[in-house]
Amino acid sequence: MKISLSWLKRHVDFSWSASELAERLTLRGFESEVATDFSTLDHVVVGQVISCQKHPDADKLSLCKVSDGSTEFDVICGAPNVATNQKIVFAKVGAILPGNFKIGKAKIRGIESHGMICSERELGISEEHEGILVLDDKAKVGTSIEKVLGPLFNAIEVEITPDKGFALSHRGIAREIAAMTNQSLKIPFSLQKPKQNTSLEKISIDLDSKGGCTRYIGAVMNDVKVGPSPDWLKNYLKSVGQKSINNLVDISNFILLEIGQPTHIFDFSKFKKRTVAVQWAKEKEKYHALDEETYELSQNHLVITDSKETVALAGIIGGYDSAVTDMTTEVLIESAYFDPIIIRKGSKKLGLLSEASRRFERGIDPNSSMEALLIIIQLIEEIAGGKLSSQITDSCAVNLESKKLYLSEINLNSVIGQITPKKEITSLLKQLDFNPKETKDGWECLIPTYRHDIDQEADLVEEVLRSIGYENIQSDFTYQTTLVNTKDDEYSISKLKNHLSSLGFSQCYNNSLQDISEVNAFGINPIEVLNPTSERMNTLRTTLHQGLLKNLDYNFKNGNADVQFYEYGTIFSKEGEGLSGINQQSSFSSLVHGNWQDNNVHFKSIPLSFYYLKGVLENINVHFMSTKLKFITNKHPYLDSYQDIVDSKGDSIASIGTVKSSFLRKLDIAHKHPVHLMDINLQTFDQYSNYAVKFQEIAPYPKVIRDLNFKLSSSVIIGDVVKVMQSTNQSILIDVKPVDIFKKSKQDSDQDVLFKLTFQSDKKTLEDNDVNPIINDVIKIISSKFKGILRDK
Amino acid sequence: MSIDKTIKDIQTSFNKEFSTIASASALEEIRVKFLGRKGLVNDLFEMFNQLPNAEKPKYGKSINILKTDITQAIEDKQASFQENTVTSSIDLSLPGIQLKRGSIHPLEAITSEIKSIFQSIGFSIAYGPEIDDEYHNFEALNVPKHHPARDMQDTYYIDPETVLRTHTSNVQIHLMEEQEPPLRHICVGRVFRNEAVSYKSYCLFNQVEGLVVNETTSFAQMKGTIEYFITELFGADTKMRFRPSYFPFTEPSAEVDIWNDKLQQWMEIMGCGMVNPKVFNNVGYPSNIKGYAFGMGIERIAMIKYGINDIRLFYQNDQRFLEQF
Repeated sequence: MKISLSWLKRHVDFSWSASELAERLTLRGFESEVATDFSTLDHVVVGQVISCQKHPDADKLSLCKVSDGSTEFDVICGAPNVATNQKIVFAKVGAILPGNFKIGKAKIRGIESHGMICSERELGISEEHEGILVLDDKAKVGTSIEKVLGPLFNAIEVEITPDKGFALSHRGIAREIAAMTNQSLKIPFSLQKPKQNTSLEKISIDLDSKGGCTRYIGAVMNDVKVGPSPDWLKNYLKSVGQKSINNLVDISNFILLEIGQPTHIFDFSKFKKRTVAVQWAKEKEKYHALDEETYELSQNHLVITDSKETVALAGIIGGYDSAVTDMTTEVLIESAYFDPIIIRKGSKKLGLLSEASRRFERGIDPNSSMEALLIIIQLIEEIAGGKLSSQITDSCAVNLESKKLYLSEINLNSVIGQITPKKEITSLLKQLDFNPKETKDGWECLIPTYRHDIDQEADLVEEVLRSIGYENIQSDFTYQTTLVNTKDDEYSISKLKNHLSSLGFSQCYNNSLQDISEVNAFGINPIEVLNPTSERMNTLRTTLHQGLLKNLDYNFKNGNADVQFYEYGTIFSKEGEGLSGINQQSSFSSLVHGNWQDNNVHFKSIPLSFYYLKGVLENINVHFMSTKLKFITNKHPYLDSYQDIVDSKGDSIASIGTVKSSFLRKLDIAHKHPVHLMDINLQTFDQYSNYAVKFQEIAPYPKVIRDLNFKLSSSVIIGDVVKVMQSTNQSILIDVKPVDIFKKSKQDSDQDVLFKLTFQSDKKTLEDNDVNPIINDVIKIISSKFKGILRDK
Repeated sequence: MSIDKTIKDIQTSFNKEFSTIASASALEEIRVKFLGRKGLVNDLFEMFNQLPNAEKPKYGKSINILKTDITQAIEDKQASFQENTVTSSIDLSLPGIQLKRGSIHPLEAITSEIKSIFQSIGFSIAYGPEIDDEYHNFEALNVPKHHPARDMQDTYYIDPETVLRTHTSNVQIHLMEEQEPPLRHICVGRVFRNEAVSYKSYCLFNQVEGLVVNETTSFAQMKGTIEYFITELFGADTKMRFRPSYFPFTEPSAEVDIWNDKLQQWMEIMGCGMVNPKVFNNVGYPSNIKGYAFGMGIERIAMIKYGINDIRLFYQNDQRFLEQF
């Protein structure tokens, strides 16, 4: 909310600049920044237009001579309202206007311009940019603009948190300043409640039956002349960036920003009956509002009626038909208190927010309703020539008494963590208008009716604390705590992440929200979002594969075809009704594509293949799980060569597969090589990763290594051959590995496979006669089972 | 000539000749001259053999030492000539064998750093569901259905009672429902906000929240803990300030800013406050219980720490971005 310094000064005295004020309010819980501060504008002065002619080469431009009191400058001006003798705001060469707009010498259509005549927008006062700002004729030429405009238009922007509705007005902010500086508020209006003249008409006001409106004050004035507002009123509104509309609307807006009470002024002649009834709207009632839009109301909308027709949507926006026009002479003034929740529901339902609804939904001061009405009557008399022509009807069902609330001294000091002398607290509470009465253990406070945010002791603690100032609380670096294991259920997973990253994988973070049409390609029963930000993000991911494939596509298109990615994150699917039917679980997937390392002078790159992922999994197994892996070939909707990897108990450990090329084409994923995916089952991983390492005795006798080269049919599965070799001896043949495969051509029906057999005993150094019989057994069995022929023994 | 003198002479002449050796062949010549079958050392042994037995022990030791010294010196020199041959045959200017590095995502890196700072001062880590009911995300945290505070967090709904959590505070409620005080936890995870995607906002972000609950804690202790944390994360010189703010679940509430020297302005870094007694009441804790809570967005901290200016980069997974961390 924009707050004007001059407006604040109606209510409280202070000498701070805009930036000092913003800083102090920020430290009191009202985050503020400078909106307009003329004291920071150098080289901007009151100027006078000495002469003004058409630019020879441009119809819409004027060529002016502008005086700063001592020198005359040639200035080009594009505003239609510029004229000789005007006092204007002159930004000289070297000035820097708001928004870091630097004024320099400029050639415009062949003529040099030395400075600029400013509009309100260029000065940061308002959005007005149609013409230049013309100053009062009394302004002295050459005076710095700070002296002329500063007192009127210096302003700050204050962010009011949702609990502090009481601060949504100049008086609200002024109260804070008064509390900070230990003064009382000034009273800008001397109000006298008009004597009730019972001979005047009495407007009947019916409140609704459900507490939607608990106070409604109404009064009628006639002989009102609608017209422009006086300058003082226009300037106040301008100082907070509001446009002047006419005297009646401006008065209502002024009161809202002055004390925070929204009011409404109706053209009373438009009422079918001279009465007010607050009611609930009819279902699907059409309502034509002041903003010229038509809204469909529901039974939960509170409306103001003349007992026949709706004239306003209560607390949100007035009706079009009952609005004040230039022809209006008789008005009904409304000053009311509406229930916060009802106003909020009503405004949310229509998506219609107004300055009034914003205040009502936060709770206004029910005690300010009469005050607002009286000020309006007084102002209309003064500036619109109206006369009160009815009694003032006050239908009131709201409690206007202050609430009592107790603050205990022990609780206060212990929550803050430091002792503040009781007297000091008492005076802080006084400054906050809580009327504290000291008791033996604390304070009996009376909470003003505008403080809807205070309903428990903790709220008073905060008030005291922010008055002391958070910066004045001594930090306490001691802490008492029971020593417990600082456990982290994801500890083993972070080890896995670090491990993969050091193997060359990059960790990805993908959006959980994806496009339903894409999600459907991957999984079943996805969960959709009721209110997505966009259609491209309307469904929760069912797998991490989707994001990783997108990452491949993106990087491939950006010149990085070789990728090794993994992601850890939550995936979602719907398995039943309601929250309990939602399956949300952590998942871990990785993707590889392209080559492992680049070709270089030392070695050739190798493809990131199925075997690479298999090797990574085996590596993970050795590092973290140390179990026996079993590979089972299975089917998968979009993966080929799909392998489920389980442990000896059959528990799933991981799965590896190659994305079907038809699937990649369907999703339009850019790629050049096969794309491989691996998932790791986190539950099993977590169980295994806590395994205790058991030391194994190191065998003191050397290994004996023998190579055997077999010619085998290409159809032979080498893994089967290895298994058979291993089965020939369980005691000293400790390892069998294929180390080379040779084929003359891809189509060759034979292959030469070189096997490395490792022998070792834990009892003795092995001799040839220990190893040779086993070698002979191996040769025999391979020849009989696989028709393998031993080459060059 | 006495054998004593001969030993010294051989030693001296070896030292002299050895010091001038520049090639393997020269070394070989010297080796033959001193250690060869007809070399000076062997001659010496012959002289030694002719000594009367009584004198042998006296010289035997020094002759042996001489032989070992010369042998050692020549072997060392030979080895050094060989090494030189090997080194000079490779092109040292070729690049090393480059192993492509992988990377930890910057958000993960910051999260881990934060976790370990808090673990070192006795906090446990807690996790919870990303989809939760409105009660755990809002009502239990003192954010009633029709309260303007709801506007502070734009919410994604799965159905009218189920939301994508807007903060990890739902984990705090689950923790308090399951455990009796004292508590000392941080909650880590992904949270969602229904906001248009731009360089400064995304539809989700990662959060770390803390919760300390016991009978004696205070605002001053909260300040101390947070100051400790911020100086651990951003450095001991970090200038910071606490200012009053509003969160429905804490009372009093504060916002913590750190000073950005480059931009010459304060930057909001986290929110905190004393747990609102209404929240304790909702989870059935006794009224003498006190606590504080705090929370921060990881993206924001990562952006400040690494100087990243577009939040979308975190979720684009561009290799050229990822490999910088």
